Amino acid sequence: MRVMVLVKADKDSEAGTMPSEDILTKMGAYNEELVKAGIMLAGEGLHPTSKGLRMRFSGADRAITDGPFAETKELLAGFWIWQVKSMDEAVEWLKRAPFDGGTEIELRPIFEMEDFGDAMTPELKDQEDRLRQDIERKG
Amino acid sequence: MRFMVMVKATEDSEAGALPTKDLLDQMMAFNRDLIAAGVMKGGDGLTPSAKGARVRFDGASRSVIDGPFAETKELVAGYWLWECASLDEAISWVKRCPNPMPGPSEIEIRPIGSLADFGDIVSPDVAAEWQQMKREAGEAD
Repeated sequence: MRVMVLVKADKDSEAGTMPSEDILTKMGAYNEELVKAGIMLAGEGLHPTSKGLRMRFSGADRAITDGPFAETKELLAGFWIWQVKSMDEAVEWLKRAPFDGGTEIELRPIFEMEDFGDAMTPELKDQEDRLRQDIERKG
Repeated sequence: MRFMVMVKATEDSEAGALPTKDLLDQMMAFNRDLIAAGVMKGGDGLTPSAKGARVRFDGASRSVIDGPFAETKELVAGYWLWECASLDEAISWVKRCPNPMPGPSEIEIRPIGSLADFGDIVSPDVAAEWQQMKREAGEAD
């Protein structure tokens, strides 16, 4: 199964404060273990929300609100995508991450085709498979 | 420039409501356009937070909290990774997105950081190692 690992923001990440060299070194070593174990599929850091925006969809209306956004501890600062056998395995790996200082990290299982039920017809599933292959090819 | 484009949760998505076939068709067509334009590099739907968990880090201590989580409109229900020439281009694409939810919804756009943002903290060796790791992880560039 795949999970998304969501690293929540704090006032430092929202202020654009860079992590120390010590943390970056530890994170590099951790990422290397994740890649070697075949766990890590992707991972990125996000710029503070002051560089982002939100678009609201309501019927045919579209409305834009520029960042920054207020609810700091609910904002996203970074993410990984992991391939794991279970949520328990994901939790065990996550406990080993070199965060401290009150960070909160959320784990969310990713939808697979089977989860969509009847609305995901065989034709749509084939199309989804082809689209994913196209992404890989163009990557 | 790369962006993370996040579909925020609603009560419907948190209740496990699945997209209709009509919305799946529209979303698939939108994704097809994104891929053809070289914009879409990845994307997934997330299951409701009832199936998720959080790990809290405090010094050396780790505590696990099971979902669901309360702040529905701040939760992430799905995401894309896009490559666009500018934030304006990303916004134009988001405007073309079919409404991902049955009722009103919100999509957040966030520029992705690059190693250059870290300045001197990241040496050329570390930068090269990071690029290599991403290639090994099979991540599309």
